[in-house]
Amino acid sequence: MSRERVVTIVPEAGLHARPASAFVKAVTDHDAEVSAGPPDGDLVQAGSMIAVTSLGAGQGDDLRLVAEGPDAEAVLDELERILTTPEEELDA
Amino acid sequence: MAQRTLRGTGATPRSGVGTVVWYGRDISLPDPDGAVDPEAEIERFADAVGTARAELEAEREATAERVGESEAAVFDAHIQFLEDPTIEDAVETSISDGLDAANAVDDAFGEHIEQFEGMDGRMAERADDLRDVRDRLLRLLTDGERVDLSDLPEGSVVLAERLTPSDTAQLDPERVAGFATVTGGRTSHAAIFARSLALPAVVGVGDELETVEEETEVVVDGDGGRLLVGPDDDEHEAAAADSGATVVEGAVETADGREIEVAANVGRPEELEPAADRGADGVGLYRTEFLFLDRETPPSEDEQYEAVREALDTFPEGRVVVRTLDIGGDKRIPYLDLPEEENPFLGERGIRRSLDPDSDLFATQLRALLRAAADGAGDLAVMFPLVATVEELDAALAALDDALDDLEARGVDAERPEVGVMIETPSAVFVADELAARVDFLSIGTNDLTQYVMAADRENERVGDLHDPTHPGVLRAIHRTVEAAHAADAWVGMCGEMAGDPDLTELLVGLGLDELSMSAVTIPDVKAAVRETEYSTASELADAARFAATRSAVHDALTQ
Repeated sequence: MSRERVVTIVPEAGLHARPASAFVKAVTDHDAEVSAGPPDGDLVQAGSMIAVTSLGAGQGDDLRLVAEGPDAEAVLDELERILTTPEEELDA
Repeated sequence: MAQRTLRGTGATPRSGVGTVVWYGRDISLPDPDGAVDPEAEIERFADAVGTARAELEAEREATAERVGESEAAVFDAHIQFLEDPTIEDAVETSISDGLDAANAVDDAFGEHIEQFEGMDGRMAERADDLRDVRDRLLRLLTDGERVDLSDLPEGSVVLAERLTPSDTAQLDPERVAGFATVTGGRTSHAAIFARSLALPAVVGVGDELETVEEETEVVVDGDGGRLLVGPDDDEHEAAAADSGATVVEGAVETADGREIEVAANVGRPEELEPAADRGADGVGLYRTEFLFLDRETPPSEDEQYEAVREALDTFPEGRVVVRTLDIGGDKRIPYLDLPEEENPFLGERGIRRSLDPDSDLFATQLRALLRAAADGAGDLAVMFPLVATVEELDAALAALDDALDDLEARGVDAERPEVGVMIETPSAVFVADELAARVDFLSIGTNDLTQYVMAADRENERVGDLHDPTHPGVLRAIHRTVEAAHAADAWVGMCGEMAGDPDLTELLVGLGLDELSMSAVTIPDVKAAVRETEYSTASELADAARFAATRSAVHDALTQ
């Protein structure tokens, strides 16, 4: 069963650079298929740095996350944490 | 007037003058219609990705050490781009359709580079990252050669279409007078790296840059964002005299005559000459770990002797302070039984290991040092890392005496060097008077001292704010150490990052430091700052700073 949620992006730089890096790493570290995209648009592979960066998601934008697999809930929690933590407070 | 002036964006408020070296990347792709063996090409691609990953990890580590953790983080993103499933799928599909690996990589990245360039602001900078990763793979797949940026002639000004993080990480700041690029803005990686290394740089000059010929003399005016091609004498002189880059030879003193030794921190033999060229009076911290890492057996006494001799002969008029082996559970050395520790920075490292269990290794190192002290041109000083107790110092001094007795009994030339203690632990600060009474000098390692005084991990950005030596707790620890050293007629130096910040030079001189040791890059700036300092006003400043209750009050005192 897939789980999903919509998160508003907090880091000033948007889903870019370090937040993007942390985001992709979280996806690849978990056992789940995750896709991401605008709430009303096409979703992309969340484990791809290129795909995630090309979303061009900025601060204040809503991002829809869909996860499927044993770690689905955990990965969504972690992604929400990353997306709602200001960049300077994000640990590498 | 210069023959021509090109305009771009200044990246560092610095000027430099030098001779143009063009940095191109001569990658020629094979004929895309050539016949290929898909299976072999997929394997070549996988191998190239593996090699590229290893290179990126090595560069990440080198950059973290040389520039800083936040600058190194970009390599993590590169690794993610390198291993991106989108790229992998596209490359493998193209290869299955009969394309060779190099052209398949070029196509797969090309599409996304174009896409990123079409996006605005900082997103567009990601195109540079993708290009960097692509070119790295193509170089591996086509055996392409590039100019070696780590081995350029002295005084080179590097011109390039763009400089990626991997490129700038290799630039040797001792040899490069500056750089200019066709593309890039103030937030491009090239500009950020230029600032980290204090290199004069102008970015975003545009296509006109390509009209500047190889071996032309140019001035890089990082302040005005200009590149002067064929500068006249006045312009040349002004750039060469830029305060940031002018090397000050010989000892410096404050405006009112207090001499301050300005020395270099050195981690490898290759850094010795550049440090001397940069005006270092000597070496204030020679880390000896390079002798022990990346090998299967420990270095011999002779090998260590030669390495220390080389340093002493590089500074015949100066002093070289060698730190004995400082190693612990955060490193892997096959011939040492290093423990897995929950918290290696609070574990068995530095002098703790040298006394036991590495006492044989320590004795060998001490013999090498004592022999080098007798034979080398410059003056040797030896210091022990991470001392927390007087007992440790007494045991280390006894080991030194034993090594001296041993050599003398065998009729080998040996000489007792100056001996000192690194002040890195709060305990060492509190017993600094006892330590200073037993040695010739104290050297404050502010990176570790700050970490331990503030209980803030150096690598943990979450507590990065606490890891700042201008907190009153750290300043008072420094002051207390200086007082203890001087009361015992010992000299006192500093060898952490703090020592290399010219904005803090007046404060440190005022606190009474006799020696400042830093990365070679900032030696000219700190020497210039020493000359501008009046010791009498500096000590008033230091008093104000050390009596301040908060870091912001310290900063207020510093900026008044």
